Amino acid sequence: MSLENYRSHYTFGMDFGTSDFKFGPITCGENPWIVNNRGYFPDKRSAVYRAFETAADVVVGDDVPLYLQSSEDLTARLVYPMRNGMVEKSDDNAWRVVSALCEFGLNAYPTKQNNGFQGYNVVASLSSVSPRYMYERLLDIFKQANRSGMVRAVTVIPQPFAVAIGHGVTTCVVIESGHGNSQVCPISKYPISSAQVALNRGGGDANAITSEILKDAGYGDLANEESLVRKVKEQIGLVPQDLETAITEAKRSPRKFRARYKVSGTRVEIDLEKNSWTRFLIGEYVFNPNHEIFESYFTRGMPRPRDVKMGDTIFRGMLDFGDAIIASVERCPVELQPLLYREIILSGGNFSWKVPESLEGIAVDAPTKIKSLLRQKDIKNVSVKMTASPQLSVWHGCIIYGFAVPDDYEWNWQRLEGWMKLSG
Amino acid sequence: MGAQQNSPLGMDGSSLSFTLGNDKLIVNILTANDIVQRNRILEVLLHLASFRGALTQLYVVAPRLLGASLDAQIFRSHGIGLLLFDERRIEETIKPQPFFQNSQSQVITATPDPTVLSELATLKSMYSQMERALENIRAEFTSIKQNSEDKAPGLERDTTGLVFEPVMGAPSLLVKPADDTLPPFFANNPWLDVLSRRGRSEVAPLAG
Repeated sequence: MSLENYRSHYTFGMDFGTSDFKFGPITCGENPWIVNNRGYFPDKRSAVYRAFETAADVVVGDDVPLYLQSSEDLTARLVYPMRNGMVEKSDDNAWRVVSALCEFGLNAYPTKQNNGFQGYNVVASLSSVSPRYMYERLLDIFKQANRSGMVRAVTVIPQPFAVAIGHGVTTCVVIESGHGNSQVCPISKYPISSAQVALNRGGGDANAITSEILKDAGYGDLANEESLVRKVKEQIGLVPQDLETAITEAKRSPRKFRARYKVSGTRVEIDLEKNSWTRFLIGEYVFNPNHEIFESYFTRGMPRPRDVKMGDTIFRGMLDFGDAIIASVERCPVELQPLLYREIILSGGNFSWKVPESLEGIAVDAPTKIKSLLRQKDIKNVSVKMTASPQLSVWHGCIIYGFAVPDDYEWNWQRLEGWMKLSG
Repeated sequence: MGAQQNSPLGMDGSSLSFTLGNDKLIVNILTANDIVQRNRILEVLLHLASFRGALTQLYVVAPRLLGASLDAQIFRSHGIGLLLFDERRIEETIKPQPFFQNSQSQVITATPDPTVLSELATLKSMYSQMERALENIRAEFTSIKQNSEDKAPGLERDTTGLVFEPVMGAPSLLVKPADDTLPPFFANNPWLDVLSRRGRSEVAPLAG
């Protein structure tokens, strides 16, 4: 089998997202297999485990729900290793989950050894703020996995870089916003790591303010149910073009802006009634938490997004998305800056905001909001787009990278690029 | 004219069949002994229901005394009629819902649209012309092929003094697969070319 033919069959992509793990070979077409990026550690003292001892040390993939027990049990035994995009160096349980996921992913696509298969060329994708030790640990995991001959070569690329590849743009700024944090990453054929800006704000913060809004509206009993709060955020949360205008309009016509959500299959109905204007706070908080209206929430106990240092990266808490993009682009050569503003790509579930037809103009989508924030800072000639497949673009990028990069381009720790050959 | 009795349907002779004009009647008789047997009534109803393709209406006929123990709602919901009788009269207590069947006697005799007919005739004529043109092209092609084969040795002699050089384009480093099995997101992706040059002609920036 020629090298070209080999790549068109045995290139394998793995995207370690904050919530989901997407994986599969190039032959999957457009849609890889998706499982939760999590693992469950069964209680080995339980009578069932001792009687049968069939469960693995850590359970990953579609079988996890079969092992779940009480909700108290979940906090200790159900581990989401990349909830914040990063795995602590000493968090052995999280690394065991990552290892189990790699093994699960590769074994999900077994290949006959007699048709020229020498192992997959695996491209794994991590958060762009991943420190070097995460690369080292992940590559070690693949070395271990290669004992079964499933991996021929492996490489790791940052997620925003994979998004740019999947989206087909070679000079751009990618903003990836997940559950725990967001990253602004300029790209010009290579990721410009030194210009990267990380924010300590993501979908989880939108959940936090939704929870406060529910408490204020008299739904305190529901405000602690994370999955429900997330649903409420998705159903009633809106991004305002301009917060002041949106609040004024919503207070003037409360019926038009009324936020109501019936939880299907239950008797629970949430109706913000005269407080429906607060639905605009949910979206605004994600993009810009600096408005004075949020101070009342901070003083009443909602934690203010703080600057934190993780690995070598400082995650900024209160920087709005407009300032974050400008800070990132202005670390690049002046010649490159206009080209970067012309291609801003948004990726990640935290940018999926609805715009009800009747509220168009007052409520806007994420690209319009970003444009609006940049316009306020006098950056006008910009183009902002959502990536075509927000959930899958990283995996698409991994597959293209694995297919196109030459086989003899060897892994280099300075560049953090290239193939680490494990066999063949 | 009265109904004509047909040969019995059931093996035990409990089913009777009659023809009345265009209508066909099938009657199942339950004896007092049958009624007390478990599931016997249900079995008979299911048996009759199996004739839905051939029958239009289904009745249950029962003594009036039994009427008090029958639930009319069940009969209505399934479209089964109920006749109750006693020594003095027979009464249709519940009207049956007719079963709809595909009538084989309905034949669609649509009048053809003259416009469509005319267009069909035009298409037919165009098709004949196309067939003739194709035949002419085939004949011409055969003739050209024969001529070129006759002249080929001469052409070879004429080119002895010429030097043929391959036309070289810019070498593409882009890997192309042997077949067209790549996923759709590969189409027109400029990264394929950019990434295929990794480690070839450019100096990569250092990470961090």
